[in-house]
Amino acid sequence: MAAMPSEREDKLLKESIIQNALAIAQKTGADFAELFVEDTTTNNISMNDGKVEDASTSRTNGVGVRVLLGTKSAYAYTSGTNEADIYRAAEAAAAGITGVGEGKSAVFTKRSYNVEQKIPFASIGNDERIELLRAGTAACKAVSDEITQVSARYMDKVRRILICNSEGVYVTDERPRTRSFVQAVAMKDGEAQTGYESPGCCGSFEVYRNKIDLEKAGVTAGKTAVTMLHGKECPAGNVPVVIDGGFGGVIFHEACGHSLEATSVGLGNSEFCGKLGQQIASPCVSACDNGAMPGEWGTILVDDEGTEGRNNLLIENGILKGYLIDLLGSRRMGMPVSGNSRRQDYTYAPTSRMTNTFIMEGKDDEEEMLRTMGTGLYAARLGGGSVNPLTGEFNFAVIEGYWVKDGKIYCPVRGAMLIGTGSQILRRIDRVGPRMWMAQGMCGSLSGSVPTNVGQPRIRVTELTVGGKGGAL
Amino acid sequence: MERNEFRNLLFEEALKQGCEAAETYYASGEAFSCDILEGEVNRYVSSKEGGLNLRVKFEGRDGYAYTESMEDAAGLVQRAIDNARSVESEDAHPMQGRQSYVEIAKRENPLLKMDNAEKIALTKRMETSAKENSPLVQRVSGCMVQTESGIVELHNTLGLEAVRTYSDSACFVGPVVKKGERVKDAYAFRLGADALGVESCAKEAVEKAVLALDAEPCATGVYDIILENIACADLLAAFSSMFSAEEAQKGKSLLAGKEGERIAADCITIMDDPFHPLAPRAFDGEGTPVKCKKVVENGKLNTLLHNCKTALKAGVETTGNASRGSAAGSIGVGPTVFYIQKGEKSFEQLVKELNNGLLITEISGLHAGLNPVSGDFSLMASGRLVENGELSKAVDQITVAGNFLTFMKSVKTVGSDLKATLGMAVLCPSILVGGISVAGKN
Repeated sequence: MAAMPSEREDKLLKESIIQNALAIAQKTGADFAELFVEDTTTNNISMNDGKVEDASTSRTNGVGVRVLLGTKSAYAYTSGTNEADIYRAAEAAAAGITGVGEGKSAVFTKRSYNVEQKIPFASIGNDERIELLRAGTAACKAVSDEITQVSARYMDKVRRILICNSEGVYVTDERPRTRSFVQAVAMKDGEAQTGYESPGCCGSFEVYRNKIDLEKAGVTAGKTAVTMLHGKECPAGNVPVVIDGGFGGVIFHEACGHSLEATSVGLGNSEFCGKLGQQIASPCVSACDNGAMPGEWGTILVDDEGTEGRNNLLIENGILKGYLIDLLGSRRMGMPVSGNSRRQDYTYAPTSRMTNTFIMEGKDDEEEMLRTMGTGLYAARLGGGSVNPLTGEFNFAVIEGYWVKDGKIYCPVRGAMLIGTGSQILRRIDRVGPRMWMAQGMCGSLSGSVPTNVGQPRIRVTELTVGGKGGAL
Repeated sequence: MERNEFRNLLFEEALKQGCEAAETYYASGEAFSCDILEGEVNRYVSSKEGGLNLRVKFEGRDGYAYTESMEDAAGLVQRAIDNARSVESEDAHPMQGRQSYVEIAKRENPLLKMDNAEKIALTKRMETSAKENSPLVQRVSGCMVQTESGIVELHNTLGLEAVRTYSDSACFVGPVVKKGERVKDAYAFRLGADALGVESCAKEAVEKAVLALDAEPCATGVYDIILENIACADLLAAFSSMFSAEEAQKGKSLLAGKEGERIAADCITIMDDPFHPLAPRAFDGEGTPVKCKKVVENGKLNTLLHNCKTALKAGVETTGNASRGSAAGSIGVGPTVFYIQKGEKSFEQLVKELNNGLLITEISGLHAGLNPVSGDFSLMASGRLVENGELSKAVDQITVAGNFLTFMKSVKTVGSDLKATLGMAVLCPSILVGGISVAGKN
């Protein structure tokens, strides 16, 4: 993975247009102006029961103009790169600010980033993409006769980005990403259950040779669907919960990660405001947000303000060590940026977001935490969730869960939902396993939907509210 | 390049490259939104965008390619043909030919005539109003007004020409209240011309937030509940894909093959009404003239929702429910304006009828806690206890769980307070439902 800045001339937008647009944007007194230019090509293929259903290609390109005056901001964007439209967007952004001053003309220091692409997506045909879906579908179908339906989707995307601002930042970045989904439906006696797996990477097509195994994903999806088909309804109540790694890490993402973003902290809307240096989690919990991990789904070589992605320690032995901070957040909080400014595309102003966020490895034995938990829930795989950062109230769905009785797995359970508050759950973690793994997700917030990894080792929470509609087991 | 010229080039090029037919879907829009914090503009967004999606029919199959740059017609056609070549499904998807459409009456919306300064002033009034409503309001964490307007155009080489404009507006406010150490927030919104009513919107949000300050979980158990209108609409919206013939044909809806069968209680009638003032339109995502229909009538499923492709496969007429999830995507199936028809009883009468139980005012985690394939849901919720026919203590940090089909069969009474949710064009009245599992405190 090459992350070194290099001298690569960019052709996304002429420098004269950039300078003019930045000048227009600053004419109402903004103390900072920024242009974000994007040209993105996306390929999507969907397959249903082994047959390609749809294939589509899209190219989105446009320009976003952001201006700041202190902590006030305005944003305007236009699709396409027509010169007059860009100037109109710059005018529209400037109209959102009332200040005095001429603005400054930028002297650019150019930096360029690009992930190494051994097999660029543009060099392969749909046949090769379809082959992957076929393999994933077949592997999934082979899991059981109870699997009645398999759908699979493939996506690849290359985003070419230019970020430049009135302070002289001029950064180009090329961001290839791909993700595939396999979803299984298992049916019996008029009941249906599903399972899915959706691996993704930052990288080009070679990741399907060395990193992503869609057959394995198909098997996992199939097994979950069949297991859940034979599951019982999960009982409701307050019990100990063991949560596995991978997408289980969504617990930290929702319960804590969002509340550490400057979007919440900078406006006083987080339960973790003013808590730096304080114990906010159990001493066995350390966590970080690492945007610099090579090739991961949430990895960013450079963020959407031109700051390089990095490893930010968030919690160390239960003590709050850091926040995720973008430029606007940095102005509000009086703290430096952390390389976490992200946006879905040019239609959003950037803000503080997570990248690859996870609870780090601990020392506790994975089997012991089940054996000594008594009666409760073992959440092997979690689905998505959401949180209110103000109150820390979160919820997330268990897509593969098992009821545990007297420290032994009793039966698979369906329809379990975990709820609680962030500060409460962080203090109730009493075991952290020695092996961390991650899974991919799309995280939605103020600046749209961005690719993020969540992760953790297997952990145990002493008590959580489990929602379900089953009776006692 | 100007878009009509670009379209003509595309059609010419597509036919030259051997396509049987070609179609363009063009959508463009302008939007404005502002967010106020402590009397100042905190976020301000102004936008103008447009994109064109080309659909070609090549050897009987469809391929799509989307662009936001009106250049390189030959390249776009080539990409669409490549995509069509990849399609293996043998289900034909006929293109719609020339149609005639009813006139859709324009609605007056004074908000759309305001300039940005007036919209900002309106938003500031909402923040002030929220603060004046209660001394417990600490600040307002979201206070936004937005407007948008745009155009949708469908053309094809079979003579289809369908053009419509749309416009919308909304306001949204989320006050933060504090009492002792307890901090809570709540939100309220108004849609369309109602978004001018920022004071009533602010008042509603503050009242909800203040009430939530005293909330705590109720006991775990099985309750009769009232699902309040907006929460009900959120649930129906999240399960609306169950009514899609596309999902049914893919084996992903429990409603597959259930036409003519009872799927809900007698008191439930579900409408798909494209002419409803919330989001009226004359044609669907593939240019079919739309119509109003009862999808569920007195508990019986009349029809699933179809586009030309699913209708042909099922041997029925399209119901005019072709949807475009995004301008860049392929044609799917979705509701137009979807709602449970209101009943006779007011909200207060529903509370009296419930007598003892739980009022659920908000459900969250909808993108994760429910599964439209199995119909199962398990969602975080909040609301109020109902005791002896009266609203009582506020409740939060609970979950409600069930299966959508069982749930729809357990509806006892439908209220008269029809209301729309944010996001999708879905409306519901409050409904009274029996026997719902709730997890709270042990």
